[in-house]
Amino acid sequence: MLSQDIKKHMQDIVEGCMGDAPPYCEATCPMHTDVKKYVNFIGEGKYEDAIAVIREKLFLPATLGRICAHPCEEKCKREEVFQQPMAIAALKRFVADHYDDEAKWDLTVEPHKGKKVAVIGAGPAGAQAALDLRKKGYQVTIFEKLKVVGGMMRVGIPEYRLPRHIIDFEYGLLHKLGVEFKLGIEVGKDISFDEIRKTHDAVIIAVGAHKGIVIPVEGHQLDGVFHAVDFLREVSLTGKFPLGKKIAVIGGGNVAMDVARSARRLGVEEVHLFCLESKDKMPAHSWEVEEAEDEGVIIHAGFGPERMIGQGGKVTGFEVKECISVFDQDGKFHPQYNENNKQMFAVENVIFAVGQAVDSSFVNKEQIEIQRGGRFAVDPITLQTNLENVFVAGDASGRSAIVIEAMAEGRKAAISVDRYLQGQDMKKGREFEGCYKTWLETQVKDEVLNIPRIKTNQMDPYQRIKNFAEVDLGFTEGQALQEAARCLQCECKHCMKECEMLNDFCAYPKELFQRILKEGSVDPIIPFSCNMCSQCTLACPKNFKIHEHFMEIRKEMVKKNNGKSPIKGHKAIEIHQMLGFSKLFNTVRPAVNRKGRS
Amino acid sequence: MADNIVKTKRVFIPGCSLPSYNPILVEKTLEYLQEKLPGTGAILKCCGKPTKALGQEKKFKERYGTLQAEIDRLGAEEIIVACQSCFLTMTEDSPKQKVISLWELLPQIGLPKKSRGIGKKSDIVFAIHDSCPTRHRTTIHEGIRWIIHELGYKFEEPPHTRENTRCCGFGGMVVPANPELALRVMKRRTAEVSSDYMVAYCAACRESMVKGGKRAVHILDLIFGGPWTSDTEFPGVPSSPVTSWINRYKSKLAIRKVLE
Repeated sequence: MLSQDIKKHMQDIVEGCMGDAPPYCEATCPMHTDVKKYVNFIGEGKYEDAIAVIREKLFLPATLGRICAHPCEEKCKREEVFQQPMAIAALKRFVADHYDDEAKWDLTVEPHKGKKVAVIGAGPAGAQAALDLRKKGYQVTIFEKLKVVGGMMRVGIPEYRLPRHIIDFEYGLLHKLGVEFKLGIEVGKDISFDEIRKTHDAVIIAVGAHKGIVIPVEGHQLDGVFHAVDFLREVSLTGKFPLGKKIAVIGGGNVAMDVARSARRLGVEEVHLFCLESKDKMPAHSWEVEEAEDEGVIIHAGFGPERMIGQGGKVTGFEVKECISVFDQDGKFHPQYNENNKQMFAVENVIFAVGQAVDSSFVNKEQIEIQRGGRFAVDPITLQTNLENVFVAGDASGRSAIVIEAMAEGRKAAISVDRYLQGQDMKKGREFEGCYKTWLETQVKDEVLNIPRIKTNQMDPYQRIKNFAEVDLGFTEGQALQEAARCLQCECKHCMKECEMLNDFCAYPKELFQRILKEGSVDPIIPFSCNMCSQCTLACPKNFKIHEHFMEIRKEMVKKNNGKSPIKGHKAIEIHQMLGFSKLFNTVRPAVNRKGRS
Repeated sequence: MADNIVKTKRVFIPGCSLPSYNPILVEKTLEYLQEKLPGTGAILKCCGKPTKALGQEKKFKERYGTLQAEIDRLGAEEIIVACQSCFLTMTEDSPKQKVISLWELLPQIGLPKKSRGIGKKSDIVFAIHDSCPTRHRTTIHEGIRWIIHELGYKFEEPPHTRENTRCCGFGGMVVPANPELALRVMKRRTAEVSSDYMVAYCAACRESMVKGGKRAVHILDLIFGGPWTSDTEFPGVPSSPVTSWINRYKSKLAIRKVLE
């Protein structure tokens, strides 16, 4: 057993060593995909290994490879230093498109737990929750209002960004695992919420936010004025929507871009998009804006709606006014306008893409607490509502904005349901669910070159507005290899690259010292294998003097072993030392006068 | 003999590994120091670093105490060391004496006349192996490079060198504890230099470089021997510990001969 002093000293390493710190991309990903590992596999041409790593966390690799808003890329070290982040999503798509073999999917399910869980909604949040719970051995049924799976991925995101056969293929995993789907069943209409609660041990509400919001400006009730969600759903399901030759879209986010670009594909000749923000501050991704413009969408940045005029009850014109500022000094949304700069556009339709609300009308408001926009109130740690066996995931609680976040919320809800049904602590150890900040601190070395990000291949804008075929063609193998090679493989473990010995005994020092502290003892071969060369300390960003810890352990071991090393081979050193201090091999000579010698 | 004795201002302590490696180098070094710095005595005794490295604190204090007593008995104010472990141990444990490395001293007193420029015609490029205990003592690194330059040999800096040098594999008494690991460390070190020839200034490091697959010399081999070329037969590793102890005994005799 080691002394308290030594153990206390070791605590420094256990607390400070960054060996276990995930890279920025992985910590930022709400689902914590091991990006570093799979990008490295791609770089080595091991594509099957790469897709296996992705599938450990994500059941929608080809979908996410196309439409993930990839917050990971924003935290990429190459973004921080060169503004050229790794094309992580595009790399994921490359392996998913070419190497995702259904036969290799993990279909293992824990033994049946004898409990039933209902999930309302087959979007990313609901599907993820259903998948996780099914794998844990629960009997899971998904109730979905639409006749198709995918939720907003299916009826929000346009087909030219996400071909539908990909969703069906990837949802195949849920079918294979035995998740039951009840499609075309609307809760509140075809079956009551109370009925579902009564027949299931737990319920997860994951209905998304499919209700359009309209700004109540003059004329908003005219015919020909639509919401983005209704428009996109209809286009997704039928491929049609009755629009005129000139339309206006209101909104500056990604949904507005989807609306404008879809309208172009439906044959609208002039699509005018209006948003309050200046162009560089538009909430939509810059590449989405670019692609929309490539397709002929006319963007009027810095304008807000004034009124709509009509004839015979149908909209004929849209008046806008210049927006001077969007937020007030406190950062609150409070647009200010220049009333002297108004412009009238003759349009046949106006589509609002200014946000979505949750349709929560299927529950009794006295039963579950509802917030602004119809969103369900939940405990932020457990996603539990005030009804103890009802949980909410995804857009329905207003806690997610993008697909990968919705999935993470689905996973969180599944963890909560499992703990709830097992009677376990609901809140313990949940700090690292969803996006978090890593404790890794790395510097990009001076010799790292600014190699630009590889762009994926795109279909020609003139061709692509003719139909809903996929715009982005992804990477070729050569491009994927080139892009993967740019990854900096961010991690600490500098000591592990220097020290031969540490690699024999641990993955990083924290792990070793944690183990020693836990066990209270250590195999003598470990401290006695340290060369005491300090190379690890030189490499350590925190200057941990690891050899000192080994030395302390050595001293204590010797003390407890009657002054002798516990290592057998050290008998030789003992003899060496005895002789080294023996008279036979010692001599002490004072200085002599050289002349006297001669 | 009493008439011969002068005040011992400084004492040369060659350590253990050098006397075990080559008694002639001990003799020649001491002779040269005598010539350049009259008033130099010598002690052949271990500094106890191995005892310390094993973690035998108490035993080390006892043993170092006997060495310190000898130094004090001679009245030396300065210790000249030829071993980097000795340098560290003595700097820490003999606060009354000034400790200087032979590799810092030689640039001050110069090299023997006949060794200057001796390697100019050599076809060898020596990769320098710096000892890790003195990685922060830059004056030692400077001294070694000055010596090689003065001798006229060409040299190569490994990717890890000077402050950033890598352990030879011998450190921390790992060889007897975990020989397989020690050999890997040795090979990793030798693998990173392109030359087939290396020069070290610690006899244990030199032996490690040979075990790592290189032809290696001690820097004193270059000063008091040579010229070294690709045709020269290079020293290997001792056939048995007995050889080393015989050399050690011969070193004792050599010291007595020089300082009789």
